Amino acid sequence: MNTKLKRSYKIAPVLLCISLLFISGCWGKREVENLAPLIGIGFDLGEKPGTYLVTQQYARPKKGGSSGAEILQRTLGAEASSVREAFETVSKGAYRTPFMGSLKVIVIGEDFAKAGGFNDVLDFAQRFAEFRRSMYLVLARGRAEDILNLKLRSEHLSAIYINYIIEGGNELSTFPTVRLGHYLTVLGRQSTAPILPVVKSIKPGEGINYKAEKSGEAEELQIQGAGVLRGDRLVDFLNDDETKGYMWLENEVFNRFINTVDLEETTVKFSGQVLKSKTKYKLHTNNESKELYYQIKTSIAIDEIIGLNKQLSGTEWVKLAKEAEESFAKVIEKECEGAIKKQRELGQDFLGIGRHIEQRDPQYWKTIKDQWEEEIANFPVSLDVKVTVHHTGMSSSSATNSGGEGQD
Amino acid sequence: MERISVHQFITLGAAVLMGTTFLPVASIVTGVGGRDGWMSVLPGFALGIPYSLMILSLLEQYPSNNLLQISETLFGKLIGKLIGSFYILVAGYLGGLLLGQVGDIYQASIMPLTPLGVFYLGGIILVLLLIQSGIEVFARFSEVIFPLIVIALFLNIVLSIPRIEQGELLPILSEGFKPILVGAFKVMPFPLTYIIFLAGVIAFLPTGEKELKQLKSGVWRVVFMVGILDMLIVIIQILVFGPTETVRLVYGLLVLGKMVEISRTIAGVESVFLGVWFGAAVLKIGSLFFATNWGLEYVFGLKGIKWRLSLCVVFLGIAFRYVRGPSLILEIGLVDEYLIMPFVAIWIPALWGVAHWKKGVGIGRKETRSGGKG
Amino acid sequence: MGSWMKMIKELTIRPKGERKIRKSPSYSFDEDLNKPLSGETVKEILSKSSDVVFREFLLQGKERIPCMLVVVDGLVDKNLLDQFVLKPLMVDLVGHPELAQVTLANVIDKTMESLIPGIEVKKISKMGDAVDSILSGDSVIFFGSLTEAIVVGARGWANRGVNEPIAESVVKGPHEGFAETLRVNTSLLRRKIKHPSLRIISLKLGDMSNTDLVVTYIEKIASPDIVSEVLLRLSKIKMDSVIDVGYIEEMIEDNPYSPFPQVAYTERPDVLAGKLLEGKVGIMLDGTPITLVVPAILTQFLSVNEDYYQRAMTAILSRFVRYVGSFVAVVAPSVYIAVTTFHQEIIPTDLLMSISAGRQGVPFPALLEALTMTVVLEILQEAGLRLPKPIGQTIGIVGALIIGDAAVNAGLVSPLMVIIIGLTAVASYAIPYYDLSLAVRMMRFPLMILAGILGFFGVAMGLYAIAIHLLSLRSFGVPYTSPVAPLRIRAFLQDTFVRAPWWALKRRPQLMDVEEPRTNGKG
Repeated sequence: MNTKLKRSYKIAPVLLCISLLFISGCWGKREVENLAPLIGIGFDLGEKPGTYLVTQQYARPKKGGSSGAEILQRTLGAEASSVREAFETVSKGAYRTPFMGSLKVIVIGEDFAKAGGFNDVLDFAQRFAEFRRSMYLVLARGRAEDILNLKLRSEHLSAIYINYIIEGGNELSTFPTVRLGHYLTVLGRQSTAPILPVVKSIKPGEGINYKAEKSGEAEELQIQGAGVLRGDRLVDFLNDDETKGYMWLENEVFNRFINTVDLEETTVKFSGQVLKSKTKYKLHTNNESKELYYQIKTSIAIDEIIGLNKQLSGTEWVKLAKEAEESFAKVIEKECEGAIKKQRELGQDFLGIGRHIEQRDPQYWKTIKDQWEEEIANFPVSLDVKVTVHHTGMSSSSATNSGGEGQD
Repeated sequence: MERISVHQFITLGAAVLMGTTFLPVASIVTGVGGRDGWMSVLPGFALGIPYSLMILSLLEQYPSNNLLQISETLFGKLIGKLIGSFYILVAGYLGGLLLGQVGDIYQASIMPLTPLGVFYLGGIILVLLLIQSGIEVFARFSEVIFPLIVIALFLNIVLSIPRIEQGELLPILSEGFKPILVGAFKVMPFPLTYIIFLAGVIAFLPTGEKELKQLKSGVWRVVFMVGILDMLIVIIQILVFGPTETVRLVYGLLVLGKMVEISRTIAGVESVFLGVWFGAAVLKIGSLFFATNWGLEYVFGLKGIKWRLSLCVVFLGIAFRYVRGPSLILEIGLVDEYLIMPFVAIWIPALWGVAHWKKGVGIGRKETRSGGKG
Repeated sequence: MGSWMKMIKELTIRPKGERKIRKSPSYSFDEDLNKPLSGETVKEILSKSSDVVFREFLLQGKERIPCMLVVVDGLVDKNLLDQFVLKPLMVDLVGHPELAQVTLANVIDKTMESLIPGIEVKKISKMGDAVDSILSGDSVIFFGSLTEAIVVGARGWANRGVNEPIAESVVKGPHEGFAETLRVNTSLLRRKIKHPSLRIISLKLGDMSNTDLVVTYIEKIASPDIVSEVLLRLSKIKMDSVIDVGYIEEMIEDNPYSPFPQVAYTERPDVLAGKLLEGKVGIMLDGTPITLVVPAILTQFLSVNEDYYQRAMTAILSRFVRYVGSFVAVVAPSVYIAVTTFHQEIIPTDLLMSISAGRQGVPFPALLEALTMTVVLEILQEAGLRLPKPIGQTIGIVGALIIGDAAVNAGLVSPLMVIIIGLTAVASYAIPYYDLSLAVRMMRFPLMILAGILGFFGVAMGLYAIAIHLLSLRSFGVPYTSPVAPLRIRAFLQDTFVRAPWWALKRRPQLMDVEEPRTNGKG
């Protein structure tokens, strides 16, 4: 009797489970085909003060022929004073539910960035559970709306295209990769100024030549340079070289192409590929003052030599490789100095020098922390670049003519 | 009488001690200790060791009794019953609050539109199933689930390594040791909640001399295993988020799970991770349910399914009282810090002290013998 | 009932004592059987069956004794009887000095001692025994009006040979399987374990069918607790007939409401021998090639005999595949449902697009789609199961290829769903035991529904509920989930998810609390 009773009590929860099934089951249930995956989102200043234009780029998957899905784009904008409101406005005209989990890129328009206040905008992205902190942040030259509405010749959605460029960025290491999580962490450091990569549309001839389908319109994208923020306001843009300098100093160079064409003091120019790079930081003490010392160690493989017009012997070749190392080091130094110069001009510590000091000498940092903004301009920094040329490719000396015209 | 083995004691202890601590711990210690917060985890957990050892020595003296019974024999009926009632109250209340947390986490993180009651109900059904199957099955459940929890945590930690920011742990000890000690104080309620469960479960432990030795070393292993795991969790969160963000994020580890990307195949594992977390929560709530149940049984003699079902209702009631997430988290913190900590901190040493004193006087010997038969 | 208990006591408490020849239970419903034994009464009872043969003859001893041989036609080896019973008694020995001394008083002893050269000869004195023996295929000789008779064992009937079992085929390993005849089966077992401690205990079950049953174990390896538990449970079975071990399985398992098999079975002598050597108890039944093995644990259903015949490395791989397969078979459809209807964020964007594109225009929600497809799969499996082989294959091809493809083309189901269901089906075939595979198929439906309502929370809930159920199961006192929980570290590491090489498997798996060395010598 007792065991029987016990058994029936064991069954009771199971019955409860079963009865649970018959309660209407549509809590938060969304069929995947009814979702509109949000890929990119752009922010610009709105017409009315206090509002902004939120451009949302959705992917619209369509049954493709043989290769699965074909992705069509659907980019909509709405002016609102909160992001949720903008989504509401857009949703009124769209039959699918916006799905934020697939958001790849947040594009911040130039004007909007300069006006400031996008931490408020980002709050939605970091609070709402569907978003991930691994999405990318980029600044747009011009309006974010234009970037997202760009009809690319490759027929990609521009947000996906930006995502691809950033994810391939390690091979170039010419612009910083900033995820939302990284941005928020940098904000948490207080002393460091956040930096965002800059995306811009390119018309034919603006750096890249191509044949546009509609003349006069931009149909390609490029990420180059970066923007420095103070708080959540864009202060200034870094040019390409300064951004590269930032990448060296921040130890973010993985692989890179590098050339010495702009060096005036050498006749033989080299191009190569950075195989790996490591930046170390040390805090030197000279008498009273401290100095941050960067030590950059880089391995480079030479891919191209220009201006070499005689055949070299083995020892000469070794000498040339040494020369190449010096040339490369000079280029790197130049880039880094550009970044440091910019940092001093702006008075913004986007290089994170303050953090480096804090990590190495927290006591000293406490004494200068409060007037760090003034200190940045003249805090001494020194640089040591060591380049090792691993190899010079598949050949030694370049092909030369037999002393004809034009040969020295 | 059901018995659990030494190994089961270890996994069960670890699972209950770990419980759901891995979610809030980073935010708590980092809030006090900043970048050095991770150092206060182990010292905080280590407090569990002396308490557990005291309980085990009581077990040696009074085998097959739980601490409530021992309290009654040592302090007399009235005080014993008073302690027992308080024990029931604390364990039941915390259990209900943790049940509420199941709903809060699920609703906040992955299933925003599902009613809270469903999560509560799902949790309490599993807990009831476990309770009805008895402590042995509960122990076996922990043997299966605890390794899963550990694996899930490790995966989460390892997969987050690509997201580590440069140098976030440095500088070490820039603020000195004081914040670490304060942080350790904040961690202390975690092991003490475990003591609540241990106070009841000792009645089911083996009492042979060899086993007692193993149990004692088991306690060390439990505390260090859980302490180190929690410490790793705090470290990875500081490394990835930096201290400011770690404090700010309510469920930091979940956010970490969201950031996991395994090449392009898997994007975010938080929903899978939450499944494992749910198992941990069921274990923890189950342990408190067991404790409450033992309390009712030994103090008031209330046994059987009727009282268990009404306990379920009480748990659900407490959970439903706190539908507001922030106030729930605050309440859990308050109960931990101002109810459980002082209660356990005084009760166990007092019990141990009196038991030792009586043993010294010689009254204890008789008690031991009668206890051994029972 | 009392004698049963006594026997159990004798068998388990004094394991060194000699094996008793068991007496069959008496018929209680037939008054005739309470009468004193005599040829006439037997004739009365059995003469209504045309297959019973009564051969009357005279024995020419000191006195002329009328004898009667009773056999069932078709169950006895007639040649054997002619050669060794009838011929000596009626022809060869006539005039022999031994025969000359025979009188009615000593005929039985004399016959047994020196007249019948058969091996199995014994004396009986009860009516029930006589009827039982005749119906089981033994031959009984009655002498005049004596109340005792002689049983001569000369069974012989049409027999299926020792073939390879269809349900348990192996690549590497012995190819013989049990047949339907109990004695053949015990002989196959005996040939694997030639040791005096192999115990083969005969019982009879079923009031009507009177089926022979054998409980077999290895003394000193099998736990006496388990053996006595098995015998006790068998003794409690009150059934009219026992046609197959399935009857027994349901009667002796611990939790009949569980979908999980708690009794293992095999058709192979090598598997049975292996299990007995691990300390398990086998139950063989006459008339079926299936042998039950108890106690059973969950992980045992995912290991096969070939694991032990292959080299350890490859065995580990195939075991791993089986575990993965069974997990996939349980959760694949429910995870698909949970992911596509609740947790789209876990899907990488590219895949999300193609799933979404694939589901464009599918009229059913994912849950209904998956449920329908699973039901279709079940129908296909059931349909193909009992058909003759060539037709069964056609069913598979028609079902899987044509219906599936047409459904996708018609936009009724999404292509990914077909993949998931196909994967599930294939994965469930990786489960070697059919019973477990059935249980897994049963688990799928509630999990799918839970996933459709509550997403991963539901899946987690369902899986935990299943886990709790499994953890609370016991098979003959052994926790079903051991050696995982409660953890038996040696068995867990050596022979659960992986199989250690044979030189490392020095101890038998620990079923209860004792751990035996596999070899008596160096441990």
